[in-house]
Amino acid sequence: MATHELIAAPVGLQPGAYVKVAYAGRDQAATPAADLDLQKAGQGYRIALQWACPDPVKSIEGNTDVWVDAAAVLAPAAPGAPWITMGAENLPVVGALWRADREDLYRIDAEGLGSVRREAAPEGWRATSKYERGFWTVVFELDAWPSLRKQKMIALAVWRGDAQDRGGLKSVSQGWINVEV
Amino acid sequence: MTANLTDSKVERQVGMVLDLNKCLNCQTCTIACKKLWNQDAGTDYTYWNNVETLPGTGYPKHWQDLGGRDGKGQVKPGTVPNLDTQYGRAWNFNHKQVFGREDGKKGLKVWLRPEGKSRPKWGANWDEDHGTGSYPEDNHYFYMPRLCNHCTHPACLAACPRGSIEKRSEDGIVVVNQDRCHGYRFCVEACPYKKVYFDTQRQVAAKCIFCFPRVEEGEPPACARQCPGRLRFVGFVDDREGPIWKLVHKWKVAIPLHPQYGLSPNVFYVPPMSPRKLDAQGRPTAEPRIAISYLESLFGKDVHRALATVEAEREKKKHGKPSELMDLLIAYDWNENFRIPARSPLDERSTNGHS
Repeated sequence: MATHELIAAPVGLQPGAYVKVAYAGRDQAATPAADLDLQKAGQGYRIALQWACPDPVKSIEGNTDVWVDAAAVLAPAAPGAPWITMGAENLPVVGALWRADREDLYRIDAEGLGSVRREAAPEGWRATSKYERGFWTVVFELDAWPSLRKQKMIALAVWRGDAQDRGGLKSVSQGWINVEV
Repeated sequence: MTANLTDSKVERQVGMVLDLNKCLNCQTCTIACKKLWNQDAGTDYTYWNNVETLPGTGYPKHWQDLGGRDGKGQVKPGTVPNLDTQYGRAWNFNHKQVFGREDGKKGLKVWLRPEGKSRPKWGANWDEDHGTGSYPEDNHYFYMPRLCNHCTHPACLAACPRGSIEKRSEDGIVVVNQDRCHGYRFCVEACPYKKVYFDTQRQVAAKCIFCFPRVEEGEPPACARQCPGRLRFVGFVDDREGPIWKLVHKWKVAIPLHPQYGLSPNVFYVPPMSPRKLDAQGRPTAEPRIAISYLESLFGKDVHRALATVEAEREKKKHGKPSELMDLLIAYDWNENFRIPARSPLDERSTNGHS
């Protein structure tokens, strides 16, 4: 496992007139670090992500003002795709999104902030998670991820529900992380 | 791919006027809306249309203090209301116990009441008819039906980072594209009227759609059509023969709620008149029971002109003189409260002589 420092995704970049003003000054990552272990597994990958989370939120439980914990791994689907804006037009990124209130992963595709499309992950993409002694551990098991195989770069994002993280309010890796796979 | 977050330009704008002098607080509008659109488990707490007693706490509780926009139209951090303490959870009642007796006994000995382990501590209309003031000198309250204002510059639309909220170009109705919505709830925070809700089951935003399937057929929204008090008017704001243009632009007696938020609502209110306060001897004074400063805090300075015009026209009518404004507000023929051209193919066929 290698520890990666996380930063708050810049609020000033967020689309729309509200978030960048209402959350101005939110420049501290709610989750300051995450441990990453990435292993080749057959034709695919086993990616373990672990981070400290003192107050886990595992479900919205029919409430209006509760947000769940979540995490995502992302890879560029084209050379030069920026990580901080989740890609850009014609520079897509692709990844897997885990939420604490769902058993199944989402596959996410994006070409810039505000453009994320969520859909059911391919059958061969699974995740297991456990919360223990103040830490979330999520293991992504992806039977194939061509973008990671080609670009050999990954980015991380963690949403801490009790900090009202959601959307662009998140902790992210400081850039693409080069991986040997 | 990037979300379109600029102000939407619309071809036409539909609007609604509500005459607060005629609202009975019967909640028929609330029920008409709720039965039509919001009976699912995730939206059982929501009232796209509600009627609140003012002065009072409103729904959600103290919504005017929950942020979104400040008094100069600038973004002010808002909050998502709590279900227990601000919206109030939907109550289940002992209907079966009261109405479904099978023991053959006669007489009602069980009262209708909310079921559950603990007594409810909050809900919509918790302070119904409380009002303010002292009896008999200046006690008062009035009723304020509220729905989404389908603003010209919607704060909810501007707040959504995903562009999931759209303003329809053909009628200016603001709708949520729930297929795009990821349930972040920035729209709930940003709307200073707190008229965007969160479907807790489907985890998407939900709000009043101005009954657009009805409007497309030339029918007013259910809340307006069902109103026994005939206090609602619906039409396009630029239709000079229609009630909205006449009340808002010609007579200037219908004004928006909290214009200082800068969102240009398209729901307008004829402000309430009130009886005079009494002095210590019980004689009427010159002062209205509803303080003009309170109405100004709701409707801005235009409330002075609106009230003066309504009072002057009412005097004319009382003295047997004609008044277009009074005739309109009285709603002799309430079908004239609504002027919405149908846009459906069915209507086009019938106007072309085909049945």
